[in-house]
Amino acid sequence: MTTITVARSEWVKMRSLRSSIGSLVAGFLTTVGFGALVCSLIKESEFELPGFDPLELSFYGLTFGQIAAISFGTLALSQEFHQSALRVSLAAVPRRGLFYVSKMAVTGGAVLVVGLLAGLTTFLLGQALIGDAGIGISDTGALRAVLGSAIYLALMALFAAGLTALLRSGVAVLAVLIPLLLLVPFIFTDFASGVMSYLPNRAGQTIIRQYPDGLIGPWAGLGVTALWTCAALLAGWVAINRRDA
Amino acid sequence: MSSIEIRDLSKEYGKTRAVDQLTFDVLPGRVTGFLGPNGAGKSTTMRLILGLDHPTAGSATVDGWHFADVPKPLRQVGALLDPHAAHGGRTARNHLLALAVSNGIPIGRVDQVLELTGTGAAAKRRIKTFSLGMRQRLGIAAALLGDPAVLLFDEPTNGLDPEGINWVRELLREFAREGRTILVSSHLMSEIAITVDHLVILARGQLLVDMSMPEFIRSRGTPRVRVRSAEPDRLRTALAGRGLVLHEGADSEAILTVEGAAAEAVGVIAAQQGISLLELIDEQISLERAYLDLTADQTEFTTGLPIVGSRSEP
Repeated sequence: MTTITVARSEWVKMRSLRSSIGSLVAGFLTTVGFGALVCSLIKESEFELPGFDPLELSFYGLTFGQIAAISFGTLALSQEFHQSALRVSLAAVPRRGLFYVSKMAVTGGAVLVVGLLAGLTTFLLGQALIGDAGIGISDTGALRAVLGSAIYLALMALFAAGLTALLRSGVAVLAVLIPLLLLVPFIFTDFASGVMSYLPNRAGQTIIRQYPDGLIGPWAGLGVTALWTCAALLAGWVAINRRDA
Repeated sequence: MSSIEIRDLSKEYGKTRAVDQLTFDVLPGRVTGFLGPNGAGKSTTMRLILGLDHPTAGSATVDGWHFADVPKPLRQVGALLDPHAAHGGRTARNHLLALAVSNGIPIGRVDQVLELTGTGAAAKRRIKTFSLGMRQRLGIAAALLGDPAVLLFDEPTNGLDPEGINWVRELLREFAREGRTILVSSHLMSEIAITVDHLVILARGQLLVDMSMPEFIRSRGTPRVRVRSAEPDRLRTALAGRGLVLHEGADSEAILTVEGAAAEAVGVIAAQQGISLLELIDEQISLERAYLDLTADQTEFTTGLPIVGSRSEP
């Protein structure tokens, strides 16, 4: 029994659940769809406005795509707490570290791949729709945003997965995370307002701005998200390792 | 040849002691019946063997291994704990496939166990559409996947039809003949009586009985003989001379019973007196009777106390 065989088993589990595949597809569609929608609605008169950022605009859908990523990450763990399925899983793979690492690797990996596809698609489609003011893949920040948005989505999925392992309930995690991620940005609109900048989503999303001017830079921002994710994964691991299944 | 070794095993959930200093072995080549009232600690013990729950004290090992350290777990131990413990959104085949892949079991084996357990026709159906009996069969299929040396079955006949119950019995007998180690719990005493060789009985987390089936029956019943004679009055007098009392049978006056004696004793007395006997049989008490007698005082005693280990009982 190796990490490879257990990861392959986790892959079988993932692809055999409609809801898992569904949330990955939804992640792609919402990221690309909302990005394209906003880019097609932008008017030429807005190109000259001071806050105009064609890169960020094409990644507008990331806010919604991350909800799908979080749902996917939550589901990867919550399926184990449903009807004590975890007992069957651990009776087959009793080494809990192996089980946990493999599951998280498959979860993060799947989101990373879909995130890269979605990032590239939404960038190219969005810039084409913006037209003259659009930028190319070799322009400042473009490649960073494509790569970074995929990493961001994977980190958010793992953040949710770690929390679900800790709380043993997908519903609880989604009930906390979704309002936090969707409402907080609308309530506190000032992008760089102090403490808010260090929330996992606020910090990480600096990666999609062409010229970030906030408290933290793009990669440092993604690093902050990664720290949140590590904390959640660690807490989840302690819970999985210590608790009775 | 594998065996399960339980040593001073205890498990507490909060202040409730679900398993209390258990020590016993489950040996290969025989079916061991695991009995006890609801909440006696049977399911908890099985979870402790599998390392799913962490023991408060003591150890449960398989061939000296803690289950978490076993290299190929599904090949060593196959377990059926809870027929509902499978995600309803997955098809039966995918459920088994994920388990097989994790232990490097060839994919062909998945279809083999599906056929073996009579779930082949439903392989591509989602588990949530399954009846309890079908879930039970799927759970057994999962347990058999690795062709394991040790089988842990928690109420395997729950929800099965008579044909299924018969099949499980044959399966367990067959595995015992092959030298595997089998621990099976059930509340169906008539089933246990004709399936198991050895009994382990728990009550309130403690070990009450660890002995072979015939030994247990002998230990619980006062011997009783059923006798039919052409000369009942002479027999009555002869037995009375040895302090034995002849009772009239419940259904027929011709059938008489002698309490507290074995067939050997009654036969010898009759022969000495030249009394002709038409029928002479040792009557055994049923497993159910013996078990209920044993647990009656235990159950009475536990009423009013918290039901330990209840979270695992359906």
